[in-house]
Amino acid sequence: MMRPLVEAIRTFKAGPFRSRDLTDRLGYTQGYARNFISQATRQGLLIAEPKKGGREKTFVANARIIRQVVLKGGKDKEELLEALGLHSKYLGEYVALRGFTVVDHDVDFHMLGERILARNETGDEVVITNVGVPKKILTIET
Amino acid sequence: MKVAKCWDFGEDEQPPWPTIEITLSSGDRRATITPKVDTDFNGSLAIDREAVMKLRLAAKGTVLITSATGYSETPIYAVNLCQTELGIDHTIFAIGAQRSLVGRTLLRDRKWLLDCKEQRFCLLRDS
Repeated sequence: MMRPLVEAIRTFKAGPFRSRDLTDRLGYTQGYARNFISQATRQGLLIAEPKKGGREKTFVANARIIRQVVLKGGKDKEELLEALGLHSKYLGEYVALRGFTVVDHDVDFHMLGERILARNETGDEVVITNVGVPKKILTIET
Repeated sequence: MKVAKCWDFGEDEQPPWPTIEITLSSGDRRATITPKVDTDFNGSLAIDREAVMKLRLAAKGTVLITSATGYSETPIYAVNLCQTELGIDHTIFAIGAQRSLVGRTLLRDRKWLLDCKEQRFCLLRDS
């Protein structure tokens, strides 16, 4: 489930896409694309957008998955951050994300933390993480 | 130069290590702990699982850290830190760790005395 989701985010970011876009742009078969959309929507990873007129149904990636994946960490996190294009812009930095949006970033974890706390952005919407190996990594001896 | 405050070394491991006493809070929950002073830790505060559970902290993200055993990913928590002698009473981001630690960021810009003879760690102030 994670692989096609990451590919969809890499291609469409926070924008809407249709089942046909997955076949046209990602090369998925119609059955695979429909299956993925069905399962991902059921799991809350995708959100179905209301149909406009007679047009085909569109979907967007649920912004809440950014937080879930960052908190889970590991390979999925790195793949997702890379798919969001953060590796090319913020490699070695710490970023604060609200959904798909980078609200702040810094090479220094402490400085970024102070700014986020000063803006009182400690609610559940903002999540902080590193992109790749931090240039100023936190070191613990024990 | 005067000694403002001293804390006894922690006896829970050998050799004993310097510690300082701090109070953490989150919402209406409080916990007073005596983290080990770790000058190899370049952050502010690391808190162990027991403190996280007691304060019912929710992770606000994850960060990569490095230690003698290599890289690892750890959760971060927003927690209020109060330390009267240091004049600290504000919210910081602490990292989750196997044991609670105070790091260099919290110690900097102050004078300290590591008294291994009396097994105390003291905050100094200009007289």
